[in-house]
Amino acid sequence: MFGRSLLPSLWNEVDVSPSRSEGNPLAVIQRDMNQLFDNFFRGMGAGPLSATGEGLSRFVPSLDVRENDKELTIKAELPGMDEKDVEILLTENSLTLKGEKKEEKEDKGKNYYHMERSYGSFQRVIPLPDGLDANKAEARFKKGVLSITLPKLEAAKTKAKKISIKS
Amino acid sequence: MEKAHVDLQKQQAPTPVETERTRNRKVYVPKVDIYETREAMVLIADMPGVDEQSVDITLEKNILTITGNVEAPIYDGKTLAYAEYDTGDYQRAFTISDEVDRERITAMVKNGVLRLTLPKAEKAKVKKIAIKADK
Repeated sequence: MFGRSLLPSLWNEVDVSPSRSEGNPLAVIQRDMNQLFDNFFRGMGAGPLSATGEGLSRFVPSLDVRENDKELTIKAELPGMDEKDVEILLTENSLTLKGEKKEEKEDKGKNYYHMERSYGSFQRVIPLPDGLDANKAEARFKKGVLSITLPKLEAAKTKAKKISIKS
Repeated sequence: MEKAHVDLQKQQAPTPVETERTRNRKVYVPKVDIYETREAMVLIADMPGVDEQSVDITLEKNILTITGNVEAPIYDGKTLAYAEYDTGDYQRAFTISDEVDRERITAMVKNGVLRLTLPKAEKAKVKKIAIKADK
């Protein structure tokens, strides 16, 4: 259901396979090799320092979407933000997550040694499938992780009909 | 742009993180900002999913280690429809110098962000030297 349509910001494929294969020595080698290549190519583009430049330091929250036959949950990692910083807009077939991660301004005259965290405003639009009950949508913010629950409509809950195969 | 985005993603720690771990979870390296003010060094780490109970900070000799345990998500029979991040624990270690007053280190967690204040020892504080006019 969530195919490529949701992927514009996902330039890097994320491996969602469970970590069970990690015990396999070959898989471990493969992962290490992948990491080696990732790190190498990462070094060619934006190093840690270039993240301070405009545009590159833009904060983009990461999303996870899960579903079962009753509901759909969307989780976003938004460290350092609270419910006042985020706006969730729900339309019939999309959910917009808007907000800004603000840099603290209170300390004057600070010298940075390390700057890896990113700030800035963001907006993400998540296409939604049909059959969700928008009136019962709920959102909670806990420990820097936002979770949005969208229950499915009764009509959409009906399970797929099984068709018996005749020999 | 592509690479910049990759850089902003959570990064997994290279396999054995110091010692053998007792929890079979992925380990991520939290992103940190470190800055210095006149009075202290401040370390801010983005660790979404942790609270004040689940962060451990240890200082052994010169190594300051931050560990954050994130509860495994409850799946509730849900299947993953789309994923950009994975949950796991956080761990990162820093070497600190003698210029930090170890007795007065304070830590605070709010909204998944850890803020560590490492006050400078008296001897390391910046002193301003007044310049007298020569007449």
